[in-house]
Amino acid sequence: MRKILILILISLFSIVSIGNADVNFAGKTVTWVVPFKEGGGTSRFARFIQPFLKKYLPGNPDVQIMHIPGGGAIKGSNYFEKNAKADGTFIFGCSTSVIVNVATGNPLVKYNLSEYRPVVLLPQNTHWFTRSDLAEPHDLSKIKERKLVLYALKTPASADLFHIWIYEKLGIKGAKPIPGLSSSGGYQAFLRGEIHLSSHGAANYVKKVKPEIEKGKVVDLMTLGIIGADGSVSRNPLAPNAPTFPEMYEKVNGKKLEGDDLEAYYAIGAAWSQASKAMMLPADASDEIVKAYRDAAIKMTNDPEFKAKAVKALGPFPLIIGEEAGEIIKKAAVFSDTTKKQLNAALKKHKFTYRVQ
Amino acid sequence: MEQLLAALFQLFEPTHLAFLFAGTLLGLIVGILPGMGGTSGLALVLPFVFTMEPSHALAMMIGVLAPTTTSDTFPAVLMGVPGTAGSQATVMDGFPLSKKGMAARALSAAFSASLLGGIFGAFILSISIYYAIPIIMAFGFGEQFLLVVLALLMVGALTGDNLFKGIASCFLGLIIGSIGTAPITGDPRYTFNTLYLLEGVPLVVVGLGLFAIPEIVGLLDSKGSIAKSLNTKKGWFTGLKDVVKNWFLVLRCSTLGCLVGALPGLGGTVVDWIAYSHLKQTTKDTSQFGKGDIRGVIAPESANNAKEGGALIPTLIFGIPGSGNKVLLLGGFVLIGIEPGLDMVTTNLDLTYLMIWSLAIANILGAGICMGFSPQISKFTLVPYYILAPVMVCLIFFATFNINRDWYDFIGLLSFGIIGITFKNFGWSRPALLIGFFLSSKVELLSYQTQAVYGLSFLSRPVSIILIILCLATIVLLTKQKFDNNYRSDLIKGKHTQIYYILILLCLPLSMIWFTSSLDYRANLFPISLSVIALSLLVFILIVKIADLKNLPFLNNTLMKFARSNIFEISGNFNNQLFYYLSFIGFLLMNFIFGFPIAAALFINIFILFHNRKAYVSSICISVALMLILWALSSLLTLQFPDGLIGLFIDLPWWLGGQLN
Repeated sequence: MRKILILILISLFSIVSIGNADVNFAGKTVTWVVPFKEGGGTSRFARFIQPFLKKYLPGNPDVQIMHIPGGGAIKGSNYFEKNAKADGTFIFGCSTSVIVNVATGNPLVKYNLSEYRPVVLLPQNTHWFTRSDLAEPHDLSKIKERKLVLYALKTPASADLFHIWIYEKLGIKGAKPIPGLSSSGGYQAFLRGEIHLSSHGAANYVKKVKPEIEKGKVVDLMTLGIIGADGSVSRNPLAPNAPTFPEMYEKVNGKKLEGDDLEAYYAIGAAWSQASKAMMLPADASDEIVKAYRDAAIKMTNDPEFKAKAVKALGPFPLIIGEEAGEIIKKAAVFSDTTKKQLNAALKKHKFTYRVQ
Repeated sequence: MEQLLAALFQLFEPTHLAFLFAGTLLGLIVGILPGMGGTSGLALVLPFVFTMEPSHALAMMIGVLAPTTTSDTFPAVLMGVPGTAGSQATVMDGFPLSKKGMAARALSAAFSASLLGGIFGAFILSISIYYAIPIIMAFGFGEQFLLVVLALLMVGALTGDNLFKGIASCFLGLIIGSIGTAPITGDPRYTFNTLYLLEGVPLVVVGLGLFAIPEIVGLLDSKGSIAKSLNTKKGWFTGLKDVVKNWFLVLRCSTLGCLVGALPGLGGTVVDWIAYSHLKQTTKDTSQFGKGDIRGVIAPESANNAKEGGALIPTLIFGIPGSGNKVLLLGGFVLIGIEPGLDMVTTNLDLTYLMIWSLAIANILGAGICMGFSPQISKFTLVPYYILAPVMVCLIFFATFNINRDWYDFIGLLSFGIIGITFKNFGWSRPALLIGFFLSSKVELLSYQTQAVYGLSFLSRPVSIILIILCLATIVLLTKQKFDNNYRSDLIKGKHTQIYYILILLCLPLSMIWFTSSLDYRANLFPISLSVIALSLLVFILIVKIADLKNLPFLNNTLMKFARSNIFEISGNFNNQLFYYLSFIGFLLMNFIFGFPIAAALFINIFILFHNRKAYVSSICISVALMLILWALSSLLTLQFPDGLIGLFIDLPWWLGGQLN
């Protein structure tokens, strides 16, 4: 038994040393630039991964997290673009808002996100729900009949923009955004009965919405759906009975989600759901360095401590590691003209002056 | 109940207790420094707390906040200068007692009254948390909007010496708060195409600039050490007995403090006076008041500490701050990712209880330290201000840089510093400005949200009506106290400067209208309406001031007498203060050249030696200690300090401003 164990260890070790023959971070410090404040989701993501990264990167470098908040994540992202070295000592903490800044063509953006080399993506998923007196579970028909359907929208210059598109495509004519309302403030207003539709990410859904569903006050409507590597969409394990957006689309419109709408859905899903949080290397990082990082990430996911804590700290969705991640980032960061046109049409309809560029 | 106890055990973990203790010590110190209070203290720690775990950060912030109204009694009793705004009434009888040689009695009575008041406040807070959910549910957008607006009006009406100047300060704060991205359309307002203004000026910068800098400058101006002599040896036991004897007074004033504290917007600055006048009204023999009656110390001290618990109620459940220091506390919540509201009484209930326990224990700690180490602590009031001031300036700069590691923040700090100095000298309300600034975006958003959901019908909802009546009643009751019959216009010098100052203030609303007029109406409606109101208020104040200067007859009817009351402020030596302020700009330039650590050491030495050539031993010791602390901080927390131009030419260690790695 012991011999086998040693054999495994040796073989593992040799794989490691062959794989990263010329990458070694011994004695170096890796700087993880997070373009947000301490305490935010991206910061928590980075802090959770940090010790595992030190443990599994060749040479066990120190990993320090550098928070550069400001300018809607643009300041820190631009800082990374300008200052990051390609030798693997700089990594970037990305999130949906960093991607949306690029995808919507914010003129202040100076970082070339779509060329960055992603190591790990952490997916998220959005849940939509309403009060039980307004609709049956998983059924939009009563909502669609209403003259006024209020929902919270922090600002159109963020991922909240996608709500406008989603409600547009589901034909909710009465949908009207209430501006400047954060998702938590919006949920409070929803519970008070002031707004009609509300949504939450997976973590808050479990913590805040599930208890209300069990009490019978709130009903599930749908989820964004989990997009697989092959483009297939599966249901969210946290609400397995709730239809995904493509299912709901088909039910409402009587036809499958396809063409421009499907393309927009993939783009939105990539930015909003699949690449919700990400760890990336600069665009000019060499393949060896990217591989060293990806290997470390794979080892991390097999670490028993990681397995024990990950679901609580990061949510139920498995990390995306490897080439697939790069495709998702490209899809998320570069919206096609038709997708932009669709988003802008929805913005215009609701009298927003903001436009996707 | 389980969570209540769990929170207590959590608090007694060594790390929590250490943070609470550190916060309490800092709170005690800022409380002793006259003028510096919880607002400045919190502004100093805020740039550092967000690297901590939320529960640690909360323990620390509450630790800073709770004991300031306990230790502020030292200067109030020993020197006759209130340590924070909340102990103004304590001076009335505390200082005469100290002159009679009964300083120790006054101090011990004050500390034990503070302690009881503080614990009472925490107790009331923990009870009200149970009833918070239905209250939160009853307060929709409309009610919240009203609550915010009424809070603002109350702060404006009650914190300024003159009612109109107070309200105008509030509106100026709202206008400054509307700088940045318009929340509805995303248009930049008044940003001059800079990324810095796009986000608005950070709250901590505004807080430090408005509160800390003017106090430091003002105290430098007053010269000399803080206290003249100390006599705090005997009479501790008498003070304790006084409190026991007056237990009912403590209970009444604590209740009063809690209630007044819980009224959003009213907060700290008036509660001590309310308690004092309550005492006067309910006592038969008032002959000793103002001459050294121990009850005149007990009443305001129990009330001003009980208000902390009360003031946390609207802060936690609505996110509406009752006073300047709660604004900073809310800023801290944002930094550590806590959102006030329903979460505080449901999912984050453990954190709420942690705060309540922290509040109670910090009060016990604070009062305990004050009593146990009173002789040592009161020596603190003997340290000459020219030694404390440069250290505090370095601390403020250090804290400022840590917010965003952005040089622009220094410009923001010094700009708000000069606003604070002029506001203080010319009798405008700094708390009103700060709260207006903080609530600006909330007011704007709530007005849109209310409009979208209710239109104007929100005014007829029952809670709204109750709120309006409550607010009007409070203002009518309390403005009576504001009416200052002792105002003697002829004693005030430098009136022309104060009139010219209004002309400068007028530039803000005028330029705001000018720069935003071309935007979409949803982006400029709010700032322009605010500007129009501010303009009318300022012009009215200008007219009253000119009329007062020329002594025009139309000021003699009752209403105008009210408007005239305290329209001019007896300003300190303004030019002297400007001189000190300029030395801070000099410090900033030194930072540009040498980087922060070297500039700080230089500044401390130059400043102290400028005031006292012989103090070189202390100046060198202090600067060496500072360098050691900075070095330790940089290696512990991987902090990078502002680096100067010098780093480009000389190879320095990175914490002195050299290259990273």
